[in-house]
Amino acid sequence: MAISGKSRNALAVTFAIAFMATVTGASPAQAQSAKAEPRTPWGDPDLQGIWSIATITPFERPSALADKAQLTPEEAAEAEKTFLKTQNQDRRDGAGTEADVALAYNDFWWDRGTKVVSTRQTSLVVDPPDGRVPALTAEGRARATARAARGYDSWQDRSLWERCITRGLPMIPGPYNNNYQILQTPDNVVILHEMIHDARIVPLDGRPHVGQHIRQWFGDSRGRWEGNTLVVDTTNFTGKANYRGSTDGLHLIERFTRVDKDTVRYEFTIDDPTTFTKKWTAAIPMARTDEQIYEYACHEGNYGMVNLLKGARAQEKAGGEK
Amino acid sequence: MRHWMIGLALAALFILPAAGQTPSTYKAPRSPHKDGKPDLSGIWQANNTANWNIQGQSARQGPILELGAAFSIPAGLGVVEGDAIPYQPWAAAKQKENAAKWLTLDPEIKCYMPGVPRANYMPYPFQIVQTPTHILVAYEFASASRTIYMNSKDESPADTWMGWSRGRWEGDTLVVDVNSFNDQTWFDRAGNFHSEALHVVERYTPVSRDVLQYDVTIEDPKVFTRPWKMSMPLYRRAEKNAQLLEYKCVEFVEELMYGNLRKKP
Repeated sequence: MAISGKSRNALAVTFAIAFMATVTGASPAQAQSAKAEPRTPWGDPDLQGIWSIATITPFERPSALADKAQLTPEEAAEAEKTFLKTQNQDRRDGAGTEADVALAYNDFWWDRGTKVVSTRQTSLVVDPPDGRVPALTAEGRARATARAARGYDSWQDRSLWERCITRGLPMIPGPYNNNYQILQTPDNVVILHEMIHDARIVPLDGRPHVGQHIRQWFGDSRGRWEGNTLVVDTTNFTGKANYRGSTDGLHLIERFTRVDKDTVRYEFTIDDPTTFTKKWTAAIPMARTDEQIYEYACHEGNYGMVNLLKGARAQEKAGGEK
Repeated sequence: MRHWMIGLALAALFILPAAGQTPSTYKAPRSPHKDGKPDLSGIWQANNTANWNIQGQSARQGPILELGAAFSIPAGLGVVEGDAIPYQPWAAAKQKENAAKWLTLDPEIKCYMPGVPRANYMPYPFQIVQTPTHILVAYEFASASRTIYMNSKDESPADTWMGWSRGRWEGDTLVVDVNSFNDQTWFDRAGNFHSEALHVVERYTPVSRDVLQYDVTIEDPKVFTRPWKMSMPLYRRAEKNAQLLEYKCVEFVEELMYGNLRKKP
């Protein structure tokens, strides 16, 4: 995983910009304005393209890296090598063993990515600085416990993703379908999620949020440009969306910034005081990909749900405990 | 007096253009992407009974007694040219069987992606997001969506529910060639169907600020004896605050689809 001279230069530029922003207090938009940045014909920053957020970087910082916010290039290469070895789903663990059955979906089915994020940050959570999601409130803990206790009595016990309803917001790397396409018009930014074909349309025309009675899995998003950054403000979530125990009071703020030709920096802040003891933020570089977005007919082929429930009923009949 | 009125009526006939001639006179605004193409962006919706039946039908009582007049089936003129679908004999019989088993067989009832052209005339809005290379069509029903690849020769790697759409401009008309369907979608609630050999050619022509003329050619040599056509206007949702909302219907059909697998108390 040698880093080419070219990417080393790109990295140097990125850090130089971050540094400039820190010492001068200039916004990244100002710092970058000298560069010829891609623009739409009507002058907005151009975020269009197909972007992947597949990565092996963990969401929260592992305890072993407690004081380390960033890996060195050598550590990153080592982490990637280790991941490939330990997470190899193509290995066989002895026919007939449970461990082997758990590998029934071999690597053909997964697309988790094989690399740490380009920033080499040790967790996707960047604020608080320890890289960990802040403690839940008592209420939030109660909701999380209730959720964890769920089994297989009905589809309602399963995740929204298993039910093929949505993987929802914010955008988080998953085991596959990590591609997103951004399209722009003067009035809208559209983010097409390959996962369960959600097309999220974000109006830019300054209209107010929809009324309080309207509650949605994706909430209600409004966008605006702050310098070169697209800021998307989302409210009106349904409590059923339940991101990490969050409620219908969740306020999600996302920022999209084109930092170079091949990268959009995606950052989101979770603000839900009834669930988390403080606001927190994660940052994920979205990497340009030459792949296409394909139709993911999840519900239409959800044999998994049928088999899961059938299996649970068969186990009960056989006197199993669940 | 009589002659005068007839004269006026005749004059009107000659002066007013027929509906089919309107497209040539309207010039749609150009795309902000500055490629010189007409801008079809917006939220659109059909306002007809094609999702009930693409052919003409009279009104009749709905299938759920309790829902009475609120959810009975409306009359409609149909959208099929000549009001006849040229089924092969076996297929005509299958359509009748489909219609008889509507509630168990119609993929709409299971919240499956509705396919094309049905998605365009379901009673839900859809949004066209236009760029020079990709045109995204996002549907409110089931959050279905499809991408129209402009001037592309790429083939679909697999069969799909919403088809594989490749577009081109013919003057101010967006022409979309759609193939690589599976055989699971229907045209309407009346059991009209197709095979995986379905080939759809859609034509979207702006005829006024708020109307797209939508013309569709259906070809499927496994089911029909010849190609046939549907056409209808698509209307802009002109509300100032118009936006797509969610109709994520999976939740509404889980009891129907999995209810028998729920743990018995």
